[in-house]
Amino acid sequence: MQAALELERVTKRYGAFTAVDDLSFSARQGRILGFLGPNGAGKTSTLRMVLGLSEPTSGRLSVLGAPDGRSVRDRIGFLPEERGLYRRMTPVEAIVFLAGLKGLPAGEARKRARAMLEQQGLGEAQNRQIRQLSKGMAQKVQLIAAIAHEPELVILDEPFSGLDPVNQQALEAMIRGLAERGATVVFSTHVMQHAERLCEHVVLLAKGRKAFDGTVSEAKARAPRALVLEGSLEAADAGALPGVAEVTSQPLDSGHVRHSCALKPGASGQEALKAAFAQGLDIQRFELREPSLHDAFIVLTGESLDEEAAA
Amino acid sequence: MRRLLRIAVREYVAYVRTVGFWLSMLALPLGMGLVMAASGWMEASAPPPALVVVDLTPDQGYLPAVSEAVETRNSLGRLRNEIVPSPVALPRDPAAIGAALKPWLSGEARLEGKRRLAGALVIHGAGERVALDVWTDSPLLGASETVRTTIATRMQREKLVAAGVDPSLVTATQALQPTVTDYSPKTAGKASLLTRLPGLIGFAAAMLLWSVIFTGAGILLNGVIEEKSSKVLEVLLSSATVPEILFGKILGVAGVTFTVLGVWGTVSTVLLNVFAPAQAAGIGQVLFSGGLVFYFAFYLICGYLMYASIFTAIGSFCETTREAQTLLGPIMILLTIPVIFLSQALRRPDTPALDILSWVPPFTPFMMTARAASNPPIWQVAGTGVLMLATVALVVWIAGRAFRAGALSTGKVDFKGLVAKLRGGE
Repeated sequence: MQAALELERVTKRYGAFTAVDDLSFSARQGRILGFLGPNGAGKTSTLRMVLGLSEPTSGRLSVLGAPDGRSVRDRIGFLPEERGLYRRMTPVEAIVFLAGLKGLPAGEARKRARAMLEQQGLGEAQNRQIRQLSKGMAQKVQLIAAIAHEPELVILDEPFSGLDPVNQQALEAMIRGLAERGATVVFSTHVMQHAERLCEHVVLLAKGRKAFDGTVSEAKARAPRALVLEGSLEAADAGALPGVAEVTSQPLDSGHVRHSCALKPGASGQEALKAAFAQGLDIQRFELREPSLHDAFIVLTGESLDEEAAA
Repeated sequence: MRRLLRIAVREYVAYVRTVGFWLSMLALPLGMGLVMAASGWMEASAPPPALVVVDLTPDQGYLPAVSEAVETRNSLGRLRNEIVPSPVALPRDPAAIGAALKPWLSGEARLEGKRRLAGALVIHGAGERVALDVWTDSPLLGASETVRTTIATRMQREKLVAAGVDPSLVTATQALQPTVTDYSPKTAGKASLLTRLPGLIGFAAAMLLWSVIFTGAGILLNGVIEEKSSKVLEVLLSSATVPEILFGKILGVAGVTFTVLGVWGTVSTVLLNVFAPAQAAGIGQVLFSGGLVFYFAFYLICGYLMYASIFTAIGSFCETTREAQTLLGPIMILLTIPVIFLSQALRRPDTPALDILSWVPPFTPFMMTARAASNPPIWQVAGTGVLMLATVALVVWIAGRAFRAGALSTGKVDFKGLVAKLRGGE
C-alpha cells in the first residue's frame, strides 16, 4: 500500500540543539499511526516539518506525494498541540471559517458543521460563543474544524491532552471513524494507552531519535513478560525461581509484599509458578502480566514516560 | 487569493461586530456635535468679559473714544468685551488702582449679577506721556490692543493738531488704510479658498494617514496578540501561506478603518454640500482635477502597508500587550516625528528639513502627502515613489519571515533570538 507520509533521514536543528535526529518512517494510507514519545522528544518539531511550518535541516519528506504539507494543505487536517479558536465565534462559524480556508464552500461547510456537532453531542452548543464552552467541548469543535473538509491526512498533535476520560473515549471513536473513512491519521501522544487501543503501527521517539518503528505487538514483544507474586515470600525466593531475570518488590498495606518478577526472554511463567508452589512459598495472589506499550517504551528507550493520571 | 479574502472577511466581520467599532463610528460626529453645542452654549450663556476703563488724563477725553472702539469691535462679532463701571470708588493714583480692584480682579468679590471682573485698563499721564496700565490675570481677548490703538490714534491727532494741521485732514489721514489683495502665483489670479485648499488638504491627508496607521495598526497588533495568546496562529499557518495571512489581516483591518472613515467622509460631504456647497465643490475640484487623489492614495497605501506589516509582525511575537510595548517603543517614537513637521509643511513648505525627511522611508508618506500643495519636483515624486515601493517590499518580506517565526515561537523574545529567527526564517 502507498505511503501517505514518508520521512527519510530527517534532521532538524535549532542552533546547537538537535530536535530531530536522522528520523525515517512512513505512514500507510488509511491507517492510524501513533507517534509516541515523552515531552521534548521531537514530536511537534517533526509534525511542523510535515506541515511545512518549518524546514528540515537535512533529509527528505513526502506528504501525500508533495515535498511537504504546504502545497497539499487543503488535503491535510491539523490539530495543534496548543489548541485555540476565536473565542467570540460560534462553533459553526469557526468550523465554516477553518474548513473554508481548506477550500470547502461555506454552505457545505455549514451543513457538515451542524451534522458533526450534533453527532458529537454539541448540537445545543452550536450557536454559543466558543468562550462559553467547556475545554472538552472546545477541543471537540477544533477537531471537527480540522476534519470537516474530509482530509486525506489527519495530523493530531497530543489530541488527548486535557480531556477527561469520557471525552478521550469520544475522541478515540472519532479517530477510528476517520480511518474507517479512508483517511490516514498520524497522532502524537505521550500516553501509551491511547496508542495501544487505536494503532496498529507506532513510531517511538526519544531525544529526537527513533527508538522503534513497527506494530504494537512487535513493540510489546521487545519487553519482558512479568510474573506478579503477592504474599510473605522473600525477594530472594522470587529471584531464585526458574526463568526470573529481575525482581522488583513493593510492600503492601496488608503486610504482604508484591514482587514483580521480570521473566527472561522465552521463559515460561508457568514453570516459575509451578516451582514456587512446589517450594511451598507463601503466595496469596499471582498474575502473569503481558507487557504494555509503556513497558516496551522503557525497554526500547531506557526512559520513563510522564504519563497523565487521567489516561 | 481565496484564503486571503476569507481571512480578510473574518477580520472585518470580527471587528464590525464589536461595540467598539460602532462607538468609534459615532465618536467623531458625536464629539464634534458636543464640542459645537458646548461652545455655542458657552457663548450664549456666558456674558462677555467685564472691563473697567479708568481715564485719569486731565480732560478724560480718552474714555469716550475707547468705549466707542470697544463697542465697534463688539459689533463686528469678534473678541467681545463689556465696559462696566468700577464697583468701588477709585483713587487718583494709577499705582493704587490695582490694589483697590484686587478683590474683584482676583474673584474674591463679584460684580452685579455675580460676574467676575476680567481686567482694569488705566489711562493716565498727559500730552505725549499718556500711558496705559493693564491689570489682569486673564486674557482680555484683544481689548487692551484695541484700547492701545485708540489711545495712540488720539495722541497722534492731538500732536498734529497742536502743530497746526487741519483737524479734518488729520481725521482723513488717520482713516487711510491700504487695500490688501492676496494673489496666488499658481493661478496668477486672486488668492481664494480654492488656491489655499491643496495645502490644507495635503495637511489633512497626512494627518489622515497618520491616524489610519495609528488606529489600523493598533487594531492589527491587538488582533494578532489575541490570536497568538489563544493559539489560533498555528492553525492559520497550517491552512494558509504567510502572505495570505499577513495581507488578509491587513486588508480586513483596512476595511474596518476605511469603513469608519468612509462613513465620516460621506456624512461630512453631505453636510458640506448642504451648508457650504462652494467649499465642497472646491475640495472636489482640488482632489480630482490633476490626480491629487491618486497621489494621496499611493502614499496612503504604501505608508499603511509598511507600518501595518511591522505591527503585525511585532504582534506575532507577543502574547500580551505589555510584551508588545517593549518592542513598540522605537516605532512610536518614529511615528511622533512626522507630526512635529507636518504643520511646517503647511506654513513653510520650502523648509529644507522637509525635503530631507521626504527621503527617509518611515517619514516619506507623511512628508510627501503634506508637501503635495507645494508641487514638489517631479523627480522627487518619482524618486520617493520608487523608494517607497522598494521599502514596502523589503518591510513586507522581513515582516513575513518575522511573522512566521513569531507565530511559532514560545516564551519571551530576546533581540539575539529574534535576529537569528529572521535570518533562519523560523
